[in-house]
Amino acid sequence: MFKTTLAGLLAHKLRLLLTSLAITLGVGFIAGTFVLTDTINAGFAQKFTADAAKISVAVLSKGEDHKVAAAELEKVRAVKGVAEAQGIVSGTAALIGKNGKVAGDFPTAGISIPEGALNRTLITKGAAPKSAAEAVLDENTAKTRGFTVGDTITVLDSASAKQRFTLVGLFDVGVNQELAYTGAVGFTTDTARRMTGEKSFKEIDVLAADGVSPTDLRASVAAALGSAYEVKTGEKLAHDLAAANNMDTQFLTMGLLMFGMIAMFVAALVIYNTFNILVAQRAREMALLRCIGATKKQIFGSIVLESGVVGVISSVLGLLIGLGLGAGAMAVLGALDAPVPVGVGVSLTTRTILVGLVTGIVVTVAAALLPARAATRVAPIAALRSQVEESTVRTGVVRAVFGALFLLAGTGATVAGVSMEPGQSALVVVMASGAIFFLGVLVLGPLIIRPLGAFVGWVPAKIFGVPGRLAVTNSRRNPKRAATTTVALTIGVTLMTLISVITATTRETAGERLDKQFPVDYMIATQQRDSTIPRTLASDLRARPELASVVAIREAEAKVNGRRAEVGTFTADPAFTLTATKGSVKDLGPGTAGVSDGFAKNENVKVGDTVKVAGRDFRVVALLSDDTAPVYGVTIPERDFDSAFPKVADKQLLVNAKDGVTADRSRQIVEAAAQPYPTVLVASSREVRGAFDDALDQILMIITGLLGLAILISLLGIANTLSLSVHERTRESALLRALGLTRPQLRRMLSIEALVLGLIGALVGVALGVSFGWAATQTMMDDITFRAPVGQILSFVALSGLAGVVAAVLPARRAARASIVGSLASS
Amino acid sequence: MTMTTDVRQAVTARGLTKVYGQGDAAVHALRGIEVGFATGAFTAIMGPSGSGKSTLMHCLAGLDTVSGGEIHIGDVEITKLTDKQLTLLRRERIGFVFQAFNLLPTLTAEQNIRLPLEIAGRQADQVLFDRVIDTVGLGDRLGHRPTQLSGGQQQRVAVARALISKPQVIFADEPTGNLDSRSGAEVLSFLRRSVRELGQTIVMVTHDPVAASYADRVIFLRDGLLVNELHQPTAQTVLDTLLKLEA
Repeated sequence: MFKTTLAGLLAHKLRLLLTSLAITLGVGFIAGTFVLTDTINAGFAQKFTADAAKISVAVLSKGEDHKVAAAELEKVRAVKGVAEAQGIVSGTAALIGKNGKVAGDFPTAGISIPEGALNRTLITKGAAPKSAAEAVLDENTAKTRGFTVGDTITVLDSASAKQRFTLVGLFDVGVNQELAYTGAVGFTTDTARRMTGEKSFKEIDVLAADGVSPTDLRASVAAALGSAYEVKTGEKLAHDLAAANNMDTQFLTMGLLMFGMIAMFVAALVIYNTFNILVAQRAREMALLRCIGATKKQIFGSIVLESGVVGVISSVLGLLIGLGLGAGAMAVLGALDAPVPVGVGVSLTTRTILVGLVTGIVVTVAAALLPARAATRVAPIAALRSQVEESTVRTGVVRAVFGALFLLAGTGATVAGVSMEPGQSALVVVMASGAIFFLGVLVLGPLIIRPLGAFVGWVPAKIFGVPGRLAVTNSRRNPKRAATTTVALTIGVTLMTLISVITATTRETAGERLDKQFPVDYMIATQQRDSTIPRTLASDLRARPELASVVAIREAEAKVNGRRAEVGTFTADPAFTLTATKGSVKDLGPGTAGVSDGFAKNENVKVGDTVKVAGRDFRVVALLSDDTAPVYGVTIPERDFDSAFPKVADKQLLVNAKDGVTADRSRQIVEAAAQPYPTVLVASSREVRGAFDDALDQILMIITGLLGLAILISLLGIANTLSLSVHERTRESALLRALGLTRPQLRRMLSIEALVLGLIGALVGVALGVSFGWAATQTMMDDITFRAPVGQILSFVALSGLAGVVAAVLPARRAARASIVGSLASS
Repeated sequence: MTMTTDVRQAVTARGLTKVYGQGDAAVHALRGIEVGFATGAFTAIMGPSGSGKSTLMHCLAGLDTVSGGEIHIGDVEITKLTDKQLTLLRRERIGFVFQAFNLLPTLTAEQNIRLPLEIAGRQADQVLFDRVIDTVGLGDRLGHRPTQLSGGQQQRVAVARALISKPQVIFADEPTGNLDSRSGAEVLSFLRRSVRELGQTIVMVTHDPVAASYADRVIFLRDGLLVNELHQPTAQTVLDTLLKLEA
């Protein structure tokens, strides 16, 4: 039996390869995920170890504040056995770009570059700063801001005063995510402390004298400092950093694995279908084996063995592909300047190999179990029958009932989820009910494929004449097979549609919310959260005739009902309205206050109550929606605010241009006015929206790319089913050719069949995706603006049909090429 | 072999050769066949296994290419046609009945019968259709699919399909090979009636002397050569001739 199976497999190498490909891709993705994250982890660990090897002992704070008092440095230096000790400074020091404005959305970090053996920063060009007039920049910031070694750079110190430095070198931020995000300027330790205003260190690094072991030194340093600080050896530090980093990459692993699992599920469907067809086609072969004495068990075993071989081959190939994918992803990340370690070898761990092999083999064999059982049902007498029976689907009352039950349960749970309070649990309910509903579709598939085929095939049958009509009948002739083939595609299309519906709805809803929140042309704010805009800017802007309104928002911290809370105000202007959830904003006059919803709930404040703000009583006239309230706390009229906090500068300015003033002109005016204040940034509402749209587009693109794999696998399934069907219908095709069907007509017939299959899969997917996309968005937040991106969804349908046609190219060519005489003879 | 030129020929072959493979492995299936098939006649081709009878039929019908010689169907020399032209010719002028698997399982009997016309984009002649259906006696079975029909019924549908497009010639390849004798007799008498009543030209390959006895004329092949022929054959004369060939 074993030999027969292997001989059978070897006789059909191409078929074996096609079948394996689905699993290969799935395993490749999963293995690739592990290879990627393992490589990143290994790279980080390597980097941390290399860094930590430079230091013997590190002193860190025990709390979250990352502060080690400066005075401790001298204590450490005095410990016996310490060769050298350096305090590491880390704070903010905003770099001014060439346009005179602070660079980036966040201020650049200001860090110290210690001299000597304890320097852990890699200077890639030029030299480390040696004097108070020198500084270095991280490579990426230097590149994006256009600075080169030798330039003079301007950096704001902690008092926002401009300081000038000579740029003497560039450095690599390595794997420090924070520095990679904000960019960083490096100074000598003293200058760094002056620039950032940090009075303490983030860390004290210690180098042991010759002959002193790090463990001993750790003990003596710890003894000198007392219990307030954590003292670690360099080795322990590297270990802890690597562990923390592994936690981060675990999210990446889990996220990617989810898509890997979807791909594997689709691959399992493809394998299931392939084996089902193979068993059906080889019914006579099985019957012959049974005739000459093979037991049912042996038949079952031979199919399972065959799937096992397919599983092994595809998993091994998948591991190789995974290795390539992992390496490729690393190269792409490296090229995109992502803060990942570069130049480390790709790591293929035992776990990756095990997980890849086990997943691949188990999924393949499991998917082949049902077909293997079907093979044992072939009666020996079937060997003597000349014609293979056409499969007919039993009406399947049980199937219909079960399917309907699943659909009902899914619908019921969805309704329940949608009517729940928006939130995570509602979303989970909707997603789970989506899965149940999908199961229902899976069960009902063979029953709904005929009507769907008739519906989808109506137009092709009309347009393409005989080949069209034959194709549509063919697509419906084996409903079970067609259903499994299309469901594989349905999964991918459903998820794609779901994601595009959710992003479109989010975009639309957020857009509307932005319009409500900032119904303005320009928003002026500072880069740093705790800095303010001098009031002169608002008055300068108000003096410009081209501008219609300038609303200033101010905030301060004060005692509200005895507790510290935020107090805010805004310039009353028709252009800026707040949304009241209770009471009315119109009543907000002298001596009254509006309270934000969240704060009111926490503090148990209602309309009509009195709140004491900075020693004065205010009557609450409105509760404000959290979206539009200037502060999370109490909002009082401008005049009252100014008398309570006369010195508080503006936090934010909202500017509207007059009608008829061009965008270029108004922008020029606003920017010119803001020019003297380097930390003040001007953003137009269009830019805010653009940045948001870009972020959404990026998410959509990444998810689409990841789902693409599942879709690719399902297309392999269509190609596989078609080529097996073509094989099955060799004589039928020959008959048609003999009766006068031309080769192109025969090819067209198969293409249309694939088109119909693709369209059925896509239509079901789109219907599911839109419905559950709607349900999911209902659970995400209140009053959303639902939006289905019609163009995008139509393109999914069109692409699925097209992809089906592409999948049919090779099978169709083979069918058209076959000689009529030869095909008629073969049985 | 003499050729009568006064009878109009539906199909003629001159110097027909067919070689499979090359060099030492070459198999000469047809070694120079000269034959004509008269319009409105029922001709049977016989011969022992490997005599080349099926190859001859496939070549005559334009299903297979020839190695040498020429074939005319009516006034068209089909040995010069491209695959596309051959396909169109088959559509317009040739009908087929095969031993088995004559019908598309997804179509009903009626749809199968109309299929060649639909492929050619022609309308069925309703009078002819009714007459054909009536002759084959399938009236109540037109809506059935092939799996719901007996073997004999399936072959009758295949014959009806071949007749409906009024082809210049029908090629039948062992049409009774898979049938019991009663169903076989039904199909054969139906074929003969279509020659008598509809003036159809039929060329049939068979190894069954009884089947051959339904024909007007039988030609015998051996080793790729035409070796004998009988007119107005009986099962006995056919069998005698065959036995002589085998000897």
